[in-house]
Amino acid sequence: MISNFAFLVLDIYLAHSVNAFRHWAEYIPLYFSMGAPLLLTIALVARSCGRVGLWVALGHVVGWSALTVGLAGVLFHLQSAFFVERTLKSLTYAAPFAAPLAYTGLGLLLVLDRMISAQSREWAQWVLLLALGGFAGNFVLSLTDHAVNGFFHATEWLPVISSAFAVGFLIAPFFGPVNRPYLVVCAFVMSAQALVGFLGFEFHVAADFNGPSTVMLQNFIDGAPPFAPLLLPNLMVLALISLWALDAARPEESETESIA
Amino acid sequence: MVGFALIVSAFLINSNRPVSNAGGKGDAFTRASGKCAECHAQLQYSVVHEFELSAHSRRGLTCLDCHRPAANQRTKEHHGFVLSAKLTAGNCRSCHEGIYQEFLRSGHAAVSWAAIYGEKGLSAEEVAFAERYQPGRAKRPPHPFVSLEGADAIKGGCEQCHSVGRPNEDGTIGNCTACHTRHTSSVAIARLPTTCGQCHMGPDHSQIEIYEESKHGVLFAAQQSSLNLAAPARDLTTRDMFVPTCATCHMSGLNGRKITHNPSERLSEFLADPITNRRPNAAAGKANMQAICSQCHAHETIERVYAQAQKVVDLTNDRVNMAQSIVDGLRKDGVLKGKPFENPIDFVLFDLWHYDGRTAKHGAYMGGADFVQWHGNYPMLQKTVELRAMASDLRRKR
Repeated sequence: MISNFAFLVLDIYLAHSVNAFRHWAEYIPLYFSMGAPLLLTIALVARSCGRVGLWVALGHVVGWSALTVGLAGVLFHLQSAFFVERTLKSLTYAAPFAAPLAYTGLGLLLVLDRMISAQSREWAQWVLLLALGGFAGNFVLSLTDHAVNGFFHATEWLPVISSAFAVGFLIAPFFGPVNRPYLVVCAFVMSAQALVGFLGFEFHVAADFNGPSTVMLQNFIDGAPPFAPLLLPNLMVLALISLWALDAARPEESETESIA
Repeated sequence: MVGFALIVSAFLINSNRPVSNAGGKGDAFTRASGKCAECHAQLQYSVVHEFELSAHSRRGLTCLDCHRPAANQRTKEHHGFVLSAKLTAGNCRSCHEGIYQEFLRSGHAAVSWAAIYGEKGLSAEEVAFAERYQPGRAKRPPHPFVSLEGADAIKGGCEQCHSVGRPNEDGTIGNCTACHTRHTSSVAIARLPTTCGQCHMGPDHSQIEIYEESKHGVLFAAQQSSLNLAAPARDLTTRDMFVPTCATCHMSGLNGRKITHNPSERLSEFLADPITNRRPNAAAGKANMQAICSQCHAHETIERVYAQAQKVVDLTNDRVNMAQSIVDGLRKDGVLKGKPFENPIDFVLFDLWHYDGRTAKHGAYMGGADFVQWHGNYPMLQKTVELRAMASDLRRKR
């Protein structure tokens, strides 16, 4: 969680540099991403010192704040174009409206950790839901972001397709118990997501290195977002944790019917 | 199942997007179809909105189609796009080469610039090309007012209109947006009298005032809303423009006639000169214009107007010749010394032909009776008397 928030500092800096932090609110996620790792580190130290209360309190503060930042971000992003035209096209060319939900996801995860025992099946299902939401968001994001580019390169369909598969596989456990082989298949599907993510990272960086500006930083700001594809391996980790926890909390095979 | 459903829906949505938004010419063009507006709709809403109203937009063009660098243009990087540092006619000619070539032959091109700055800034080839179609009008010295009034005055005044024919860095001439405006790229706006009237106005070339006085102008004011100013150029008929504007007579291809971006093709005389002479293409120019006139008027009417106008032109030539001979006589006899425009009498002579003479001639051809008389011949008569008095006074004081 700490590294996730810390990484968002760089990501937000590049993303909001596109319009030079024109709106004051664009600084909020930047500063929040700087402060959150600090508070969460304090929380970790506090827990190791036995001050669980402080760990819980700081987790709630950061978690609920992240949730608010994320939801407010969605509204701000949509306001950039969607509310003016309210068309699918303006949704495509609006600021990536689903991107701020990364904060909401992280916030929910923090709050979840403070409210439900990590050993429970319920916790595993909630984490799986967040991973599922992440892949669903990534499906929408990669679809709209690459639509801006007109899917000029066929490879731009890869994250759309892989995210759709991830959603399809991760949704099943919510409709009934699943057996271990299914979870293993899910784990392989998740690994494929990571592969697509790293491949995307390479494609995005390569495109930026060949950008039109003589200033490399400008190419990274205006070009393909270099860190966006890394959301896939990030979500893979989350999904694998949830699958592992789900397996650990799985009732005996003999006691239940399973989805194979 | 869910995964497949998502993939199929993604493909379906994308395949139903307009071509300009979903690929075709390249990723940069596709990106430009909406990416530019993402910022500019907020920063300069009117620019984006005007473009959305344009025929260019309706045909699926993107910002990049016009803003990409044309041949020989300096480039600039702008948020991931490579753009032209300065747009010129060179960008328009990428798609409208034929129109650009017609424009190059016109008085709106290099000769318009040369009317102020002479050959300065024009290449030898550009001067030679312009001289071929507008003899004596490109190979000339700068106008005396350039040095007399100073660069700032000329730049803020004359140049604003005469830059329609400015030489560009990329080797092209002029800028089409002078008439078509920038983001609307509108044929309807170019057909409006007020568009021509931006420059063809005032005492030195009062075409818009004359037009407004004429029957053409009166009818236009009354019936503008019934006209189809936006009709496609190739299909324009008198059903669309049953009242003419400047463009209808001087440029449009009414009822199948040839369209031209060189108004000189329909002119037979150099009315703007101190002494009006026939143009090299006078016969063809007259025939072309009369062919347009005949779309609405009987042959007899057209001939009568031309004959009457010719009499005014001849009369004006006589009056200007007479005035010029008075001043020439003073110089010849050593009464008047110094450079042009150093003596008050120079300005009286200049106003006589530059304001009154031109106005009378244009008024005669464009149906502006008041401009033939009270803004033309009357002040010419007045200034002739004034010139004579000044000349006598100068000779007496000598």
